[in-house]
Amino acid sequence: MSLIKELFGKSPFGPLVEHTKKVHECVKLVEPLSQALMKGDHEEIHRLQDEVSRLEYEADLIKHEIREQLPRRYFLPVDREELENFLKCQDKIADSVEDFAVVLFIRKTEMHPDLKDDFAEFVGQVLKVSNTLTDAATELQILAETSFGGAQATSVLDRIAGLGEQEWNADRMQRRLCQKIYSLEADLDPVTIMFYDKMFQALSRVANEAENTGDLLRAMILKG
Amino acid sequence: MGCLIIILLTAVLGLYMAWNIGANDVANSMGCAVGSKSISIKWAVIAAGICEFAGSVLVGAHVTDTVRKGIVDPTTIASLPGLAQGEAPALLLLGMAAALLAAAVWLNVATWFGMPVSTSHSIVGAVAGYGIIAAGWSAVHWGKMGQIVASWFLSPVAGGVLGFILFKVISKLILGRKRPVTAAVTIAPFMVFFMMVVITLAVVYKGLKHLTGEGAEWITGNGAFLVAAAVGLLSALVARLLIRRALRGKEGLLLPEQLELVERVFAPLVVVTSCAVAFSHGANDVANAVGPLAAIVDIASTCTVKMRVQVPAWILMLGGTGIVLGLATFGYRVMRTIGTKITQITPSRGVAACIAATITVLVCTRMKLPVSTTHTLVGAVLGIGLARGLAAVNRRVTRNIFGSWFITVPAAAVLAMVFFMLGRAFLLDYVRDALLRGASGAG
Repeated sequence: MSLIKELFGKSPFGPLVEHTKKVHECVKLVEPLSQALMKGDHEEIHRLQDEVSRLEYEADLIKHEIREQLPRRYFLPVDREELENFLKCQDKIADSVEDFAVVLFIRKTEMHPDLKDDFAEFVGQVLKVSNTLTDAATELQILAETSFGGAQATSVLDRIAGLGEQEWNADRMQRRLCQKIYSLEADLDPVTIMFYDKMFQALSRVANEAENTGDLLRAMILKG
Repeated sequence: MGCLIIILLTAVLGLYMAWNIGANDVANSMGCAVGSKSISIKWAVIAAGICEFAGSVLVGAHVTDTVRKGIVDPTTIASLPGLAQGEAPALLLLGMAAALLAAAVWLNVATWFGMPVSTSHSIVGAVAGYGIIAAGWSAVHWGKMGQIVASWFLSPVAGGVLGFILFKVISKLILGRKRPVTAAVTIAPFMVFFMMVVITLAVVYKGLKHLTGEGAEWITGNGAFLVAAAVGLLSALVARLLIRRALRGKEGLLLPEQLELVERVFAPLVVVTSCAVAFSHGANDVANAVGPLAAIVDIASTCTVKMRVQVPAWILMLGGTGIVLGLATFGYRVMRTIGTKITQITPSRGVAACIAATITVLVCTRMKLPVSTTHTLVGAVLGIGLARGLAAVNRRVTRNIFGSWFITVPAAAVLAMVFFMLGRAFLLDYVRDALLRGASGAG
């Protein structure tokens, strides 16, 4: 037996970036889902929900694969716990997208015309948060190559720094949207209101988890 | 006639040990270059063969000295009371043969059980083992043994510290810069200089006597520093020219592209530095195979216990040849599996690990300490891991390294004791007669 042969494990960073990309594919479907919702195209929602569900499952597979290939005997350039939390958190983004798709799928909820603009804006902001995270997280492999320091790390940290404000904006938009719903409560039936709330909650979770994932990414970069 | 048979038998045994070293250990030396795909397996085998041979012949004498007379002092055995004429050289001869056999057998047993084993540790344990039986505890130079054991602990640690520092330098001054391409042109030649100075000094300074004889002091004395500086400067200049040509006009590329280019520039460097590891491996480890042989040849050719000052060059060449044979017949396959297992090593990591290992092993070699090149390399890799340079490093190998010390040394010692006692019981008279006849024939 050769010591040298036993010395190296598989890098988790390649699969982590794959996971990031898979989750992002999932998030990208929020846009067509919302459009289908506004058009009331339930068939399209059905199709998209299936796709979200498939992508979420694939992300899960990658998550398990990463966990399996990281027995405790390997030591990593980042804190193991933070890496695992990062993965878990990133996975929750996909879960939240799936929740959103399911809310649209289980009931044919119509989007009130007065809400459409604000809703589109909110969706746009949530996607913006997720995009920022994806841009930063897909750099993990290159970060590992530069040993989590130097110019590359600085540029990724700068990008993550914007996440908090973007998420805060998404939150504000959600609040405004909710206010608007209750101003229209006379026109809306309670179940519809309940489903609006479920949709917004799910989308808000997407942004929220993206921000948390970004925080964990920062922690991973800053301390090894 | 009897003497010739004894020399031939031990030479075959030594050759077998050398073959083993070549077959199993050399692949580790070239691991960084092969793992980072900077060189094809075929060329890695050829380059390693040349460097191992050169290291064995040029610098191999130092550690060989330790094995043949540093651990067990032959004069202690010669001055044992109540020995018949010719008995002392016969005892020594049997002892060294037993040690060599024990090391070879242990190597096979350990490999059979899938345990990592260092030939350096085996031979040191084996020689000490026979010494204890031959002339009691005081026959072993415990001071020297202490140094050797300390070096087994210190060499991986030193490799780790150097690997950590070198990789930090590479990552801070090159990879972490806004323009890694520009930084590489400035920094990499310094590393080349550093490494070449160490290698040249290790070869030349107070060395080479067994090749040049007396009269070359102008180069082996203080002149060595000038020579080393010149060699280092020349290599650094050539490196700078080549790197600049490869990277000119690439400063505007995106960071990931620049990093990839820098890694590509490091590829020839990792080949050179891996060759340096192979060289230092040959320099340190050839003794494990030919140290006992050198002792035996000395005794059998003079029939006295007086040790010559120099290790004959042909013995080192024999060891080098054995290593090359092992590499050519079997090392090819080992190298291929190693290449697939350590793909995490990129050229920049490989350069740091190899320079760290080369320097550590060469310094130990010049201090006449038999160390394990593999352990040193593992230490260097762990150091780079601590510098956040590697994605996943198996920390359990450190346990295996300790295991190698605690199991191999006693096991080889006990085997050598058994073989020596058997040899003393059954072969002592035969060997003594052969020696005496050889002496009278020569006289």
